[in-house]
This record gives sequence, C-alpha cells and structure tokens, in this order.
Amino acid sequence: MNKQQLAAMVAEILQGMGQEPLAKGGDYRPAAPQPEQKPTGYQDGDFVPDITALDLRKLYLVEEPQKGDAFRRLKEKTPARLGCGRAGARYKTLTMLRFRADHAAAQDAVFSQVSRDFAAKNGMEEVQTLCRDKDEYLTRPDKGRRFDAQTQEKLRTLLPQKPRVQIVVGDGLSSAAIEANAMDCLAAIREGLQVRRIDPGKPVFVRYCRVGAGDAIGDITGCELVCMLVGERPGLVTDKSMSVYITYRPHTGVSESSRTVVSNIHAQGTPAVEAGAHTAQLIETILKKQVSGVGLHREAEA
Amino acid sequence: MSERLLSLGLDVGTTSTQMVLSQLTIENKASAFAVPEMKIVDRKILYQSPVYVTPLLDESRMDAKALRELVEAEYRRAGIAREDVDTGAVIVTGETSRKENARAVLEALSDLAGDFVVTAAGPDLESVLAAKGAGADALSEQLEQDVLHMDIGGGTSNLCLLRRGKVIRTGCLNVGGRLIRMDARGRVTYVSPVLEGLFPIAAGEVMTRETARALGETLTRGLEMAAGRLPPEDLLARLQTREAQRPWEPPEGEVVLSFSGGVADCMETAHPFLAFGDVGPELGQAIRKSRLCRGNYVLGKETIRATVIGAGSHSTQLSGSTVFCQNIPLPLKNLPVLREEEGDVREEELSILAIPGIAAPSYSQVIALAEKLLPRMGKQALVCLERDMAKALGQALAARMPPDARILCIDGIAPGSGSYLDVGAPVGGAFPVVIKTLVFGKQPMRREL
Repeated sequence: MNKQQLAAMVAEILQGMGQEPLAKGGDYRPAAPQPEQKPTGYQDGDFVPDITALDLRKLYLVEEPQKGDAFRRLKEKTPARLGCGRAGARYKTLTMLRFRADHAAAQDAVFSQVSRDFAAKNGMEEVQTLCRDKDEYLTRPDKGRRFDAQTQEKLRTLLPQKPRVQIVVGDGLSSAAIEANAMDCLAAIREGLQVRRIDPGKPVFVRYCRVGAGDAIGDITGCELVCMLVGERPGLVTDKSMSVYITYRPHTGVSESSRTVVSNIHAQGTPAVEAGAHTAQLIETILKKQVSGVGLHREAEA
Repeated sequence: MSERLLSLGLDVGTTSTQMVLSQLTIENKASAFAVPEMKIVDRKILYQSPVYVTPLLDESRMDAKALRELVEAEYRRAGIAREDVDTGAVIVTGETSRKENARAVLEALSDLAGDFVVTAAGPDLESVLAAKGAGADALSEQLEQDVLHMDIGGGTSNLCLLRRGKVIRTGCLNVGGRLIRMDARGRVTYVSPVLEGLFPIAAGEVMTRETARALGETLTRGLEMAAGRLPPEDLLARLQTREAQRPWEPPEGEVVLSFSGGVADCMETAHPFLAFGDVGPELGQAIRKSRLCRGNYVLGKETIRATVIGAGSHSTQLSGSTVFCQNIPLPLKNLPVLREEEGDVREEELSILAIPGIAAPSYSQVIALAEKLLPRMGKQALVCLERDMAKALGQALAARMPPDARILCIDGIAPGSGSYLDVGAPVGGAFPVVIKTLVFGKQPMRREL
C-alpha cells in the first residue's frame, strides 16, 4: 500500500463517520420506562451524609436475607466488606462509593503532610530527612533513612548524647496515623518509663521518615535504644494505623531482624495508650536483656 | 509457643462426689508483631474419677476424713501431684452445701488443691459451670434461640439461661432426685426439709411408685414454671433455694431446653423404681413426659459429670494481656467486687473496683480516670475494667502513688454485682481469673495483704 492509497482510505473512513455519527450518551433512550427519581430530601447547599462514618462491621446490605441476624453477628467479627448485596451483577452504589472513599483516604494519608505546627505544638523539635518532598519520599526510600550534614549537626546539638532511650516520631506512610495516635502513645510510653525509673529522653519529630532513620539517629546520638513511632502503610480498613519499632544499639546497616515491632495501633486495633504502656515495659525488658527483635523472641523461648 | 495450666475440678454434690483433672492450653493468638493476646485454646481432660457416693457421717454432716482419703487416692490414681495443680474449682453443691460442717470440709479439701484453686463456688457459678460442662454455651452459639440449661442433681437444679454463648442469668431450685431416699423395700429413710409443706410424706412411711410419680410430677411442674412453659405460681417461689441471690425469672421467649445432672440420665432410660433408692427415676420420667420435652430439647454432651467437668475445664478465664500489677502477692482469693455505683472502697476490707472503662481513650482521659479513682483508694488500688486500658491506667496510678503502693489493674473482665474474684499468677502476661459467688456468705479478706 503506497502513501496515496493510505491517504485515500483514511479520507473514506472519515467521510463515513461524518455521514453516520456515532451514538452520543445523551441520545440514548431506554426501551423500558425508568423508575421515577425519588426526592432526596436535601436542599442545595446541604452536605450529604458522610458514608465513611458508617461502621463496616454493621453495614449489612443484603435484601431479604434468610438468616440476616446470624450474618450480622458474624460481620461483627471482621471489617471485611462482606454481605454487601448487589445491584444486578455489580456492587450497590453505597458499597462502590465507600470503597472509593476508603481508597481515597488511604491515598490521602500517604500524600498529606503532618501539619506544620505538629512538632512545635507537642513540644518536639522537627528535622527532615534527605527527601525534599512527598514525591521524593515515596520514590527514594533510601533518602528517607538519611540526613544531610547540616541536619546531622542540628541533631547532635539538639539531642542528648548517649542516652539510654531516644524516642523518634516519624510520619512514615500515614500522616493521619501520627496525628491520631502518636501523642497519646508517647504520653503513655513516657509515663511508663518514668514509673520504671528510665529516662525517656527528648523525643524528636522526623518528616519524610522511614524506620531506618532511627539507625542514623543511633549513629548521631550513640543511644542505647531507639523507639520509633511511625505511620503504617494505610489499607482500606483504616488509614490511621501506627507501629512502634524498637531497635537495641541502632546504627546504619543494623539488621531488620533486630527490630521489635508493635503494630496495628489504632482505635479499632490496640488502643494507643495500651500500646504505649506495653512499649514502656518492652523497652525495660530490652534494656535489661540487651537485645531486641528476633533475638528477644529467642531469649523468651529459651 | 504455648503454656499449659493443670486445672482441678472437684464436685462434692448431694449424691455424688467426682474429680477431674484438665489441661488448659494457653496461646498467644496475636501475631509476633502486635501486642500479645493470650487465649485458652484447648481444654483436655487428663483424668476422670469414678462417680463416688458422697460420704456422710449422718444426715447433717459430711465425712471429712473419708472425703480427704478419696481425693488423695484419686491423685495417686491420676499420677499427678497436688503441687502441680495450677487452677480449678472445688465446689460443694446442692444439699451438701447446707451440711453443718460444709465450710470446714471445704477448707480441709482446699489444702489438697493447688494454691489457686477456688473453693466455695456458690450456686451462680455452679449453674454456669454445669451449663458449660454440658456444652450448652456452645449450643446456644449455634442456635438462633436462647438455651435454658437445667442441671438436675440430687438436691438442687441449677438453671442457666444462655444467649449466643453468653450467660444471661442463673438460678437454683430445690428440685432433685434425692430429696427423698428409700431403703430396698421402699421405706422412706430421709425426707429433705425443703419438702416440708410441699409434699406430705414422712420418714418411716412406705413410698409407692404412684407416690413417687406424684412427687416427680410436682417437682416437674416447678421446672415447667421456671422454663416459662407454665404460668408461675406459688410453687415456683417455694422451690427457690435460700442461697439464691434473687428469685428466678422465667425466660421471656421460647427457649431450647438442655439437661444434665444425674436425673437427666433417668429421662431417656427408664430405671426400676427402687434402682437407686431415691425418686430420681420417677422424676426423670416425669420430666421426659412433661411440657419441658415438647419441642426442641437436648441432653448435654455430659450429664452426671457436667458440673465437675465445668469446674475442671471452664472455671478459669483469662484477663486481657496488657495489664498492670505492682507489689501484689498472688494468688488473691475471695476479693469482693465493688461496682462503681456501690460507693467508696471501704477501709476495713480489701476489694476490687469494677468499672467499664473507656474504649480507645486518650492519655488525658486515662489520667483523669486515675485522678478520679485516687481519692477512693488507700495505699491499694485494685481495679478491673471491661475495656482494654488496664495497663495504661495501672501505670498512671503508679505514677501518682508511692512506690510501695499495691496496684492491680486488669481488663477484659466484667464481674456482676455481689460477685467475688480470685486472681492467679500471670500466664504470658494475662491473669487467670475466676469470677464466683460465695456459698457461705462473706469471708472478708484482711485489708493488708
């Protein structure tokens, strides 16, 4: 096929489209009569109800179930999207919207920032890793574990040298988790350590923070133990789940197996204050046994 | 990683005395990356004694020496030393609990049990233990309907209403197979005082099968009223035991009935009139033919052994796994439960305050609660909560009390009004707890531990 023939063919096709226009959405007329639109009861300017406020454990949408009560009781045990019913072969509108809302909340938790005044409001100094913004934080995990020379110097003057415990609060992958849980958990850890006569030291807030940033802070301060409160990668059940990572003798290159983790800290999981009280006791144990992570588990089993 | 507790059940009933040894397996059900969550994952019966006749010296006294020897012999047969027993319950049930020397016998037997073995359980706990031992709690979890479990023994019937595995209420009636006993020729040798004014028969008279049937039918009518199958009349009130804390209220709706106890064995099988020298066979048959057995009913997976297996396998529960304990010697026994609305902790006796707590509280709410509780506590703060916040509350109290203060904060426990707690040494961070009522009224613990 030469160039001329091709041009002729394209012209022919374009012409054909002109004569017989493609159906547009607005031209569609259903064969069967449509159900009448129900009035919504809302005025212009009203807010629609917040569908994310509905408890997934109680949201049961199957119509005319045989054993609805029994299913509802099972649903109490899990936030999984079960018993959603269906509209034809598809989700109901509520299920679909809720799924998209939860997905959006998870994305927001990752992309949004812990507020600018969070650290200052809670009596902490703030530092930033090598990452310049969220995009870099998400694409360069290595930069989320390190500080530039200026920040290292700042941390050296800011934080006590060779403390037993250095607490770090890091935004991690969920800013929402930190805003919701970190300060309640931190208050419980501090009081728990004070009761046990362990100096809780001076906590610091790290923006664009990965767990490994605690290792760099270990290098800088020479702390015996670092305890990091960090936002977990959000899921569709909650965007506010936080973890605590405790590392004995943290330093750059320390093995991941040497970290002790308390995860799932959120209102429907482990309450922040209980997780904090538990963490204080864990810190005492780890300082006494001088080991954290898998080594601590082995010791407990021995 | 799992831990094991050896649990003893010893039931000294109106008719029979039985013993079981169970092994409770406790495991952390949470992942290695979360706060631990200890649960009882398995209950295995290691040893079951034969069903012994409860040794009596006379109608008003138990034979303590014979009982002691019986228990010692059973330990030997089981091949288990008493020092190895971690938990469990020794209970004196039915008419036996009214014997003059019941309390002394129980105290003597508690030496033979482990350090943390509950004694003097009381009718509320017995009802729960029998229902769980018979499997009625599991049944109620499967069914849409409520289950009313009746453990019909020699002297009393323990009632337990269950909904989806949870106890709604318990009760106890003077309905049993051995309220009257006869010799081989049918001459009455014993009439329980509870029958006074209810059924005209006296020791020395001859019991005919017809008379026994009539008594069986009268007692069954009481059970029918208790199950809501007949409108309640005076008879139901007269059959209430004096130990019961409140009168039994029949269930509002339709229930599935579940039966255990020695008399349950006489329901499906007709025994000769004088087979056991009591009215058990006739009572069992009367129940079988009554309104109680119209519609759905089940025999427990255990019948005569339901209470003892309940005592061995189901008396202990675990608290939450994040809890707080400081300067408290364990086990703690017979701790009276004080509900929030029942006023201040009294100085003269040690008690544990039961409060609901707050779901997922902020730390300032924890501190506010600690400061609200402090003026009500002396040098000791013992608190049990329903919601998961005990460890945080415990350390908040510790930070505000002198270092030698005695503090116990546990959660996941919701004892009712008028109950008592026994708290054992922790297993993987969780405390074994037995919620009970006391048979012999109050036994105040010294305030100083």
